Amino acid sequence: MKVKVSYRGQTLELEFEGERVRVGELLKALGLSREYAFVVKGEDVLEEKDTIVDGESVRVINAISGGYI
Amino acid sequence: MVYLSQHRLSLCKEHYIEWYLKRVESTIKEFRMFERKDKVLVAVSGGKDSLSLWDALQRLGYRAEGLYIDLGIGEYSQRSRLACERFARERGLELYVLELRKEIATIPEIKEVESRPACSFCGQLKRYYMNRFAREKSYHVIATGHNLDDESATLLSNVLSWNMGYLSRQFPVLLEGDGFVRKVKPLVKFTEKENALYAFLSGIEYVEEECPFSEGASSIEYKRILSQIEEKSPGTKLRFYMDFLRRLHPLLRSEKVNLRPCRVCGEPTSAEVCSVCRLRERLSSRLLSSSPSS
Repeated sequence: MKVKVSYRGQTLELEFEGERVRVGELLKALGLSREYAFVVKGEDVLEEKDTIVDGESVRVINAISGGYI
Repeated sequence: MVYLSQHRLSLCKEHYIEWYLKRVESTIKEFRMFERKDKVLVAVSGGKDSLSLWDALQRLGYRAEGLYIDLGIGEYSQRSRLACERFARERGLELYVLELRKEIATIPEIKEVESRPACSFCGQLKRYYMNRFAREKSYHVIATGHNLDDESATLLSNVLSWNMGYLSRQFPVLLEGDGFVRKVKPLVKFTEKENALYAFLSGIEYVEEECPFSEGASSIEYKRILSQIEEKSPGTKLRFYMDFLRRLHPLLRSEKVNLRPCRVCGEPTSAEVCSVCRLRERLSSRLLSSSPSS
């Protein structure tokens, strides 16, 4: 299955096995932690256990930022 | 629904916004940051933290106006400035823009004469111009969007090097005096994710892109390490920072620094000429040496 992901101004197409993928797995595939990133679909914030199905588009927001200390 | 692991809370959009605003208000009161009669200058960058802060202060009924410092970092600065201008226009708020290009030079220009990391002198310049602007315009307080991740990463870095001077100055309120305007950080109890969630749920359009000069920054590494601990033990970051403020900070004595007005610009400094004026001198001498002789 394929999911379109909008992430920091880019559109990525990610492929997963099966018919659905959990939000937590999607974050993991992008190398992100739920501690600082989350997934939104339309106007809704998805929970970690929520699933995304083939062909859906989501946006991933990575909140981590920073400079030198 | 939004789940906040360190608070063990599941909230819908309306209740999340309500929870966030209450927590901003209680933080302002807990640290006696300012009152409703005070004129607050919010330092905005166009990012999620500072715009969420400005939005929250406005919703809570505080007299908050914005200052955006245009650093002249190409498209990144252009996008950030537009985000701040749009935010202010849509809400009918006052935004001041100060251009570094007109005051001294842009960050990329300064980088050519400076060996320090850009974040280091950029932070220094922002603090200098923010303070001068706020004092000249009679603001009582400068509010910045520093969050729990910034503060806990800074704390970890300061503890790893036992930098007692920095540790004694790490507090969400720095009182006014000696030419300095009071500085406060009302978002210190919020993680970056909580601020990003507030911005998203409130429809705030902020710049997600990172400053090109912050690539490979040490604070991001510390933040990642802390988030790994947080994942296994929710609430660690908040406890690490708040217990530092409650238990250790009161025991630290801040060294008295003798400040005097800079001989050139009059801003407070511990040296005869402040670091910004010294930088300006370096920039002018470079300009003179690179100009063709007549």
